[in-house]
Amino acid sequence: MSPTERKEVAEQEKQFVAHFSEQHDPLPPEEVSQAPRNKELGRSSRALTVHDFELVRTLGTGTFARVWLVRLADPAPEDRDKVFALKVLRKVEVIKLKQVDHVNHERQVLADVAGHPFITTLITSFSDHDSLYMLLDYCPGGEVFSYLRKAKRFDENTARFYAAEIVCILEFLHEREGVAYRDLKPENLLLDAEGHIKLVDFGFAKRLGNSKPQYTLCGTPEYLAPEVIQSKGHTTAVDWWALGILIYEFLTGYPPFWNQNPIEIYKQIVSKPVHFPNEPAISEPAKDIIRQFCTVDRSKRLGNISGGAQRVKDHPFFQGVNWEDCYYRKYRGPIIPPIRYPGDAQCFDMYPDEKEGREHYSDDLKRKWDDHFKDF
Amino acid sequence: MSLPSAYLEEIESLNREVLKTDPADILQFCANYFSRRLESERAQFLLSTDRHPKMSGSTFPGRLGTNANPFGGDGTGVGKEQMSSGAISKVMEEEENDTITSPTTSSFAFTKGGSSTFGAPFGGDASGDGPPSSFKPTSSEGFPAHYGMGRRTSVSAESLNPTASSNDNWSPPFHPKSEDQIARLKKSISGNFLFSHLDDEQSSQVLGALVEKPIPAKGIKVITQGDQGDFFYVVEKGSFDVYVNPAGSLQPGLDGLGSKVATIEPGGSFGELALMYNAPRAATVMSAEAGCTLWALDRITFRRILMDSTFQRRRLYESFLEEVPLLSTLTRYERSKIADALETQKFPAGTAIIKEGDAGEAFYLLESGEAEAYKAGTQQSVKQYAKGDYFGELALLNDAPRAASVVSKTEVKVATLGKDGFQRLLGPVESIMRRTKYEGSI
Repeated sequence: MSPTERKEVAEQEKQFVAHFSEQHDPLPPEEVSQAPRNKELGRSSRALTVHDFELVRTLGTGTFARVWLVRLADPAPEDRDKVFALKVLRKVEVIKLKQVDHVNHERQVLADVAGHPFITTLITSFSDHDSLYMLLDYCPGGEVFSYLRKAKRFDENTARFYAAEIVCILEFLHEREGVAYRDLKPENLLLDAEGHIKLVDFGFAKRLGNSKPQYTLCGTPEYLAPEVIQSKGHTTAVDWWALGILIYEFLTGYPPFWNQNPIEIYKQIVSKPVHFPNEPAISEPAKDIIRQFCTVDRSKRLGNISGGAQRVKDHPFFQGVNWEDCYYRKYRGPIIPPIRYPGDAQCFDMYPDEKEGREHYSDDLKRKWDDHFKDF
Repeated sequence: MSLPSAYLEEIESLNREVLKTDPADILQFCANYFSRRLESERAQFLLSTDRHPKMSGSTFPGRLGTNANPFGGDGTGVGKEQMSSGAISKVMEEEENDTITSPTTSSFAFTKGGSSTFGAPFGGDASGDGPPSSFKPTSSEGFPAHYGMGRRTSVSAESLNPTASSNDNWSPPFHPKSEDQIARLKKSISGNFLFSHLDDEQSSQVLGALVEKPIPAKGIKVITQGDQGDFFYVVEKGSFDVYVNPAGSLQPGLDGLGSKVATIEPGGSFGELALMYNAPRAATVMSAEAGCTLWALDRITFRRILMDSTFQRRRLYESFLEEVPLLSTLTRYERSKIADALETQKFPAGTAIIKEGDAGEAFYLLESGEAEAYKAGTQQSVKQYAKGDYFGELALLNDAPRAASVVSKTEVKVATLGKDGFQRLLGPVESIMRRTKYEGSI
């Protein structure tokens, strides 16, 4: 592309980004990955660079990524309020931490599922010499994690609301897309402006073609399923285990298996049944659904057994939930984030600046690895 | 005359932003900055002048931590019966007219929820009076001791592909050991949750892969707190001291080791977390005498052994299952679920695996060895089974008694699944049967 062409394409792409909008009603699950408007989403950009965005502040950090709140650089007056989340991954760190496969899966899966009402939307992706970039919709409500820690625990209606939206996500990912998410936890659940869930961080999400089991141990210690710990080969059933842990943590404020030493957590997970405290009192249906999710034997685990997600939806814990209304966001969120203006980030914690003196992405590394990043 | 302090604050904050962002277009950046500040300040002004000014004391985003009931509920009178549970109510689109209502006021939820005519769709077990329990000031009682309230980091091992599915010819390293050594090693790792579920083959591969590591002198640090870890160790000879520095890593200086928390004797082991993923060592382990010996195993080797054998066994099961006519209509996904649930059993030669006349409860795939079927009143076997054959599958279909006995001719290994397990995973077999007509044998 000539510089003039590039500039033109960049302008077009900026327009697409600016007019990407969440105002649409959700599409039925079977249309999410087919609809033309969603197919445009998640494509690799031809001309955009990080200079087309103004980095406002950090929204979150990970071991090799940092998510920024951004707005368009030199926006048209009507686009001044448009904000996005830009996930920046350092190539050097990605390689060093052996996460090359994972970041590619993340980009691919997010592109495939763009448009689902409860999953973060990948608008586009691009890269430069040092970094990979994923431009995502901005969820101003911050992490469910923050609300949970502040409130210590949720009551059952709140837990049920979030759990129900997650059931819709898992049903879609497992049964329509054949994708295992593999890192469910309150830290990865954001709230949008209306208080609905947005699942983020698809770093461990993996398409299991023909339900081929996976062998890479990944996830978060407290939320790992026993078959992951014992390297038995795992499937989408790990997400249902994690949902059991999540509901438990919502209701009590802490996960059922915990110790300062991760090895002790793993020993508990593979050998101990979930134990419920006397305080707070947890209803029988809630206890039952947690126990059924956190069942070591996968031929007995709810969600994995015959009936799949439908069986989960029919569980007494979800009695009275109209699943159609749930998917189409007709229920009011139990927590409405206090958003004062577009781009308000008060619901996010502050993070320290990036450390100086990062390792350089050398020509050597570039020769060896850049081909692995060509999808960005 | 000095500048107003509010002005100085703004400028200082702008300075910080400029330093942080290093913008190319300074003027535009400053203009953007101030227009944002103005927006923000106006929004805050609106919040503070809202009709519930007392609520501004809440510093927490959202309505948590205040006396607001997030699900609507008491106090409004409207729809109280339906809303008595404090349940989440449906959004009524036409009521979205009050754009300035503060989300931090208690009335925010009520004005929306209160006018809802819908019932309590998310159940109704919470009390209608007072805030839901989660928003009462709860003490930390009942929380686990030292429970860390911070964000949890994800962990991940290297991604590996099963050898059988790639082109490389990997086979696990093998380091010969005496029978005594094997027996001791077996005993050391048998109680460990990372090894206890291994089958004989995996177990012998893992034992074979352990490599001897002499530690000649006293005071050698085998692992160092805070370092990345790749190896797991079993003590063969000598003893090792374990030190933990509360700072989380080994520090320079005399006290850098931290305090001694344990001593590991022969038969003991350490560093097992390294077999799962690369994580900082939780302690420093140092030889306490001269002439020690360790056995070491690295993560990649361990994980490959487990992965390869699991992968191979699974492939075997799936190909077995494809051969069973009763299951021929299963999708690959369904077969894969069954393969997941199969359990391995071993029988010595001469064992009756199923007995004629018994109620049939499980079906069997012969993984290795040979077996024969007998019927009462005949001396000759009526059928022979070799690797890959199956028997007892009609048990999945009906409760009819077994039509023959199956006896192992050699030592055999079978993969088995009960009728219960099958039905839990795939539903009633009858509905699968309806997909095709099946004429069975036993």
